[in-house]
Amino acid sequence: MSPPQEEPCTTTIQPLATLSPPSSSRVWQSTPHPTLPIIATACSDRTVRVYSLTSFTLLHSITGGHKRSIRAVSWKPGVTGQSVLATGSFDASVGIWRRAEGGGQEEDYTHRRRGDGDEEEEDDEDDYQFSCILDGHESEIKSLSWSPSGQYLATCSRDKSVWVWEELEDDNFETIAVLQEHEGDVKCVAWHSEEDLLASASYDDTVRLYREDADDWVQVAMIDGHKKTVWWVEFEGSGMPMRDFRAEREGISEEQKGYVELMERSGPRLATASDDCTVRIWRRKPREGAAPSNSGMPSIIRSVAIDEDWYLDAILPQRHERAVYSVSWSRKSGMIVSAGSDGKIVVYKERWKSAVPNGVKAEDGTENPEAMQGVEDSALTEWVVVAEMYSAHDVFEINHVCWAMRSDKGRRSEDEEVIVTTGDDGEVKVWVLEKSS
Amino acid sequence: MSDIQQYLLDYDRNKRDASAVAQRSATRLQNGDLKLLTLIEEMGEYFNSGDGAVRSKTMSYLAEVLSLVPQKVLSLQQRNLLCDFVLSRTEDAEGLGACAKALMAIEDRGKWDSGRVQTIMGTLLPNTHPLRQYKQQSERYPVLRLIDTLMAKYRNALRTLHENDPNFMSRFISYFDGEKDPRNLMVVFSILTVPMAEWNIGADAQALFDAVFNYFPITFRPPPDDPYGITAQHLKDRLRDCISSTPDFAPYAFPALLDKLDSTSMNTKRDVLQTITTSVSEYGPRTVSLYSITLWDALKFEVLNVQEEDLAQEALTALAAIARTLSQGTSGPLNAYLRPITKECNEHLEDAPTKQSQASARILRTIAGVSPEVTNLVLAGVLPNLFLLFQTADTMAKRRGLLEVLVQLIEANIEVYGDWRSFGTGKEQTPANALAQFQDQAVEVMMSGLSTAPVKEVSFRLVCLAGLIQLSKARQLLNDKDIAKIIQLFHTVVINEESYGKDEIKEAAINGLVEISHQKPQVVVDQAFPAFMAQLPDSDADGSKGYLPVLEAFAKLAGEDKIFDTVILRLENKFSSAVKQEASPPYVVALLSAMLYALNQGADKLAQNQETSPYYQDIVLPLLTRTSSLDESHPKAFDDEPTLDLVGRICNIIIRSLPLEQQNKISAELYALFGGKSQGELPPFNTSASPESNRTMIVSTHVLASFRRETTLPCEVPLLISSLVTYAQQSLLSAPVRSASLRQISLLINKFLTTPALKTCMEPLLQAPFDLFDPEKLDPLRIRVIFACLKGILLRSSPVLSTLYPQLLSFLSHPQYGLIVAHGFATLLQPDDLLTKQNHCQISGLHKQKSFALLVPNITQLIRDASPETKPNYLIALSGILQWTPFDIVVEEVSQLVPLLLQSLDLKAEDLVKDAAISTLTSILQERPTQIEEHAGSLITRLLNNSTAVPAGKSNILSSKVRNETPMNSVKVRASALSCLMLVPEKLKQEVVLRFRREVVKRLTNALDDRKREVRSQAVRCRAKWLEVDEVGDEDD
Amino acid sequence: MDDKDNANPTILNASDLPSRRRESSVKQRDDGGTGLFDNLVPHHIYLRDPFEQPLSASDSDDDSVEDIDEQEIYDLISSISDPEHPLSLGSLAVVNLPDIRILPPPSPLSSISTVVVEITPTITHCSLATVIGLGVRVRLEQALPPRFRIDVRIKKGTHSTDEAVNKQLGDKERVAAALENGTLMGVLRKMLSTCE
Repeated sequence: MSPPQEEPCTTTIQPLATLSPPSSSRVWQSTPHPTLPIIATACSDRTVRVYSLTSFTLLHSITGGHKRSIRAVSWKPGVTGQSVLATGSFDASVGIWRRAEGGGQEEDYTHRRRGDGDEEEEDDEDDYQFSCILDGHESEIKSLSWSPSGQYLATCSRDKSVWVWEELEDDNFETIAVLQEHEGDVKCVAWHSEEDLLASASYDDTVRLYREDADDWVQVAMIDGHKKTVWWVEFEGSGMPMRDFRAEREGISEEQKGYVELMERSGPRLATASDDCTVRIWRRKPREGAAPSNSGMPSIIRSVAIDEDWYLDAILPQRHERAVYSVSWSRKSGMIVSAGSDGKIVVYKERWKSAVPNGVKAEDGTENPEAMQGVEDSALTEWVVVAEMYSAHDVFEINHVCWAMRSDKGRRSEDEEVIVTTGDDGEVKVWVLEKSS
Repeated sequence: MSDIQQYLLDYDRNKRDASAVAQRSATRLQNGDLKLLTLIEEMGEYFNSGDGAVRSKTMSYLAEVLSLVPQKVLSLQQRNLLCDFVLSRTEDAEGLGACAKALMAIEDRGKWDSGRVQTIMGTLLPNTHPLRQYKQQSERYPVLRLIDTLMAKYRNALRTLHENDPNFMSRFISYFDGEKDPRNLMVVFSILTVPMAEWNIGADAQALFDAVFNYFPITFRPPPDDPYGITAQHLKDRLRDCISSTPDFAPYAFPALLDKLDSTSMNTKRDVLQTITTSVSEYGPRTVSLYSITLWDALKFEVLNVQEEDLAQEALTALAAIARTLSQGTSGPLNAYLRPITKECNEHLEDAPTKQSQASARILRTIAGVSPEVTNLVLAGVLPNLFLLFQTADTMAKRRGLLEVLVQLIEANIEVYGDWRSFGTGKEQTPANALAQFQDQAVEVMMSGLSTAPVKEVSFRLVCLAGLIQLSKARQLLNDKDIAKIIQLFHTVVINEESYGKDEIKEAAINGLVEISHQKPQVVVDQAFPAFMAQLPDSDADGSKGYLPVLEAFAKLAGEDKIFDTVILRLENKFSSAVKQEASPPYVVALLSAMLYALNQGADKLAQNQETSPYYQDIVLPLLTRTSSLDESHPKAFDDEPTLDLVGRICNIIIRSLPLEQQNKISAELYALFGGKSQGELPPFNTSASPESNRTMIVSTHVLASFRRETTLPCEVPLLISSLVTYAQQSLLSAPVRSASLRQISLLINKFLTTPALKTCMEPLLQAPFDLFDPEKLDPLRIRVIFACLKGILLRSSPVLSTLYPQLLSFLSHPQYGLIVAHGFATLLQPDDLLTKQNHCQISGLHKQKSFALLVPNITQLIRDASPETKPNYLIALSGILQWTPFDIVVEEVSQLVPLLLQSLDLKAEDLVKDAAISTLTSILQERPTQIEEHAGSLITRLLNNSTAVPAGKSNILSSKVRNETPMNSVKVRASALSCLMLVPEKLKQEVVLRFRREVVKRLTNALDDRKREVRSQAVRCRAKWLEVDEVGDEDD
Repeated sequence: MDDKDNANPTILNASDLPSRRRESSVKQRDDGGTGLFDNLVPHHIYLRDPFEQPLSASDSDDDSVEDIDEQEIYDLISSISDPEHPLSLGSLAVVNLPDIRILPPPSPLSSISTVVVEITPTITHCSLATVIGLGVRVRLEQALPPRFRIDVRIKKGTHSTDEAVNKQLGDKERVAAALENGTLMGVLRKMLSTCE
């Protein structure tokens, strides 16, 4: 159980704040705004709560749109002058909400406190306005996500389907794909950080990837490695090899340099969290001769076969005793954080394998041989646990965890991040990593 | 202007004036100022008016006048004339209702002959057929009333109408077609029951049946403002009467009903089943025999695959009703009916215990309870097979299942044949009881079942036990020898068997003995008593504890009048021999306890034959001497105060019903009894008495309590009281002795002081040297004396209170002893088992009201300007009183009290107080929820705060640590707070509680983790109730 | 529910169902009696005397901790009634004491215990197995403190599609959604209405 006694684990997870007031019933997911220091939380009381990450207080409570629990929220990236929020609910519908932004004066909201869900805010100017509803799914929406360009919105549901919507102009959405590859409810959808490549995770224990082929969205890869429901998928940030530990090219072996090359050609990797208590990393096999895939290469020369081959890159040290509901990949440090039913938060980071022969590695207890089965031995890197936190939400389950930019007074550096967890106790908690040297 | 003109004018303006006009005309007719002819003439032109409204008003004028004319004013001839006239008007489409009223008025003023009645029918029907053409309910109603009256009064006339004209009936029936109005329908039904029940309707039966069955099932929901208050039930009953009115309906009724039985609506099914029951009860054996089997085939499903319990019940009732009807007829049909039933049930019994075997048991049991004939047939049809199955059964469960059936059949049998004490529904003249042929087998099976089955087979053995009890109850079934065997088996279970599980078997066996002793007292005495006695050692030198269960069982038997005396006697003997043998104190106490328990059981018996009761000599005297004696006759046990309390109570219950003179004798020698010393040496007179003699206070208090008010005490009451006051204030008294002496004070003040004496007696206590109420001299012991005095006084609600209470209240602000005084208030109205009517105390029916009125308003007053330090005292005192005040008294003050009660929930370390406050709040919630609505918020929060042992907000992580701290609230408080909180969503309006739901549900999770099971289960119930508040009633799926 | 999966289930008798011995017999009476005589001398005279009352809150019987055990779990769910018969899950032997396990926290740092309940449908193809399982899970979620994780499973080999059912019952998200479904909630409320 105890974390490995090594350098990385001198880090601890410290509570920074609990967003207040908390909801009195279960909250499902919290998504930070792409540019503003605010975060939206999907609540089972049919509301979305927008909190400030500067003052950690409630700014808006978005009510009325949905007849049942709101399960997922996603901010539309790349819009200016306004914030656009998509909400997915158990009532099988997707809501789109808009709010004009005064251009980053978040400070002055932070002085304002809003009571828990006052209805009479409906026609309040600077509040979120309900702008349209997307119907189509037959049963509960489980997750939704805007593509990085903001062009597409992907949604998924218990009806086993994944839908891709395209916003032609404001509030005019067109369904451009209904993907029904899965054999069970689809739990999560996520977009590749560089390409219009969509991934979905499902109750049928698989992950599937899709892209457009001749104006037609098709499955291009299927990943099955998890033994139980896959609760979450998330792609690695764009160009991480230039940012995380791999960026330091001095004093590493040729072999390692080559390895970084290879990783860059693979492009962002994929992290999945599952009911089987594991978190896994998947990597795309680079196509022979294909240039690093981040290029916006003209689509006329589309490669003949669009099928992709994704293989298991690593299984993170298993620290969860129950289902892992969520995993998040830092866009700054490349660290991964996971949380789930056992109420634990675990933070992992990747590093070069120490040169020592493989056998010895086991002593830090992080990897047990059979856990790593199917993982290419060629891997030169390894994942280690840097910090873990028990009972982060008292005895309650944690439904979601993610990284967000730190923006309260105590912020120590431009790109310092915080961890945000969302729990069954209705609380959204903010945590910081402390180097306890 | 003529009356009719006037009437027409007023009619629309003001109906009352119009009626006044009619009244005037009536009077004028009466005293001859108005000729009937003139009246008619005056109306003439209006009857010919082109305006229908006018014509109809004119007729209602006539109708009113006629209804107001006194009897005898109109001659037969005039009446006939009027009748013909009115009848002719029925051709007019307008004013039919008025016509009918007029006709009724005429009929009311003189009986008609058949001829006329027939003409009326003969004209009315064709003229107005079908009635539904008249759209106004108010038009049709009078007509129906008219026909109803005719049906009621002129049956023969109308019947001949039917007999002479084969087509009459069909026209008559169709006349009412399509009537929808409930009030009219009621009349239609009652009209139709006449031909149904009394006429020979052979050919028309079906038409007649359909006419009413069209309305089945009644689904009418009365409008909220229905002036006639007609309910669906009214209609259902009338309709049911129609359907069951004649056997001629059977061929149509049963198929139609059974068809409706497939309906998915529970109400329809219920209606069908009830209708079947009434029908089979009415149609008579001959008809029912034709359908009995069809009915069985349909009805059985409602029982075998029960969905709604009450439907199953209805079906059973119907099946029983069939059997009942059939058993009035010849045996053939009854047999034919029962054969398939017993056959099918037998089949189901083969895989007992299943849902259907249980259902079969219900069927058999219900039917068997109908009549001796049926019981015997059922028993004969079922038991042989049942015993066979039993022999071949492979599992205990199956055996149990089978015996359950047997037991139920015996119960049914007793219903019919009765038990040893009384006849059953079958009365005396009954065929031989078929159960007799099976009794030996039944006894054998169940005896061996009970005696040989392993103890863990609880349910199986319970069934055997129950069966044996029933068998021994069954009238003139078992002979005393068999019953004796059963009794023997029972007390072996009680005495020799190892305790197992919840000891259901032992308990059932004891109760079995008690039950049998009601039926066969002597047998129980002869059989069980020796066995029991044998189990009771004279001395328990061997230290065995086996005697207790025996004593318990034995004491319970005293409940049966006929053996009460024997029980007491045996116990007494056993007691004295035990004492002689120097038995251990526990054993002696056990014997005394048994004796007291037995005496309590027979308390009424004692009260009745007081003269003859030997128990004073046999029991009381020996006990009293033993209490005070110093020789070996004084058992060690008697040095123990609780034991003496037992002794005291035994004496009390015996003496209290003795006649006055006997009590006087006892009283006279009372002190002598306690060791024959002189008064002065005894407590309370002697404040330096030995502990032993101090202890005798406990007994003497009980004896004193038993005396009648008229009984002369061995010494002057005032003296006795004042000595007690001093005595009770000694610091070195044991708790029991102190409380005994305090209660003596209360008793004396309550019973032995006349109203004037009360004053003169209290005076000295209030002045020096006692200065009972002097705040300076206040101290804990004195405070107790004060309350003891008050207790005696308040029960007789004496006027003295109005001077004493204020002083008492003033003590609440006492810097040092305020708190103690406050706690004392709980004792004021607390019931006391010595100060009772049986103990001849003066207990005014209004004493609680009185104290409440004198104390509570003042307290609520005083709290307002009480200092923070003393405020708790008032709250404590308040809840102390409320705790024992019936709610109907409290209710007067509720609005002022609620805020205070809520505050007392914030008190620290006052669990008794909080508990009391909560129980008052609970009754307020139950009786006057509206009063508490405005405080809902603070009520809920406070209840939540009191529902946990750990301060709110404390995380229950590593709960073991938290759970080991000393709790904030006692188990009782936590539990009752939760059960009170559970009432809130139930009693307060949804909109009031809804906004608290989430928080309550969330905070209750703490109580779910309480360290005590009892609290947890309360929390579970409470939370479930709150979770039900606002359930998203989803429309979309 | 017209055509029932099992129209004629076997029924256990209440007094054979496992139950906690009543308090008096729990603190084993050494005198072997039932306490019939205990209240002959009313206790309140001596004990409930408000003058003598201990001003400390803790009653004598409050210091011992009664932990939540299997029997308690059983009592919570055995009274649930079967959706197709007016009978309790206990008497139908759908829930059985031996099939209830409480697993302690996996590590000293964790405070999460797990309750595992294996249910036995009345027959192998009982289509209502899921509903029953859901009822059990919901009842326990409502009645147990949140430090318990609840795993409801179909007992191995007692049901044709037990794996599928188990997966559904284990899916927190589906359960949550189910509880927002009015119709289903109606059925559940009826099942739970018999719980005391």
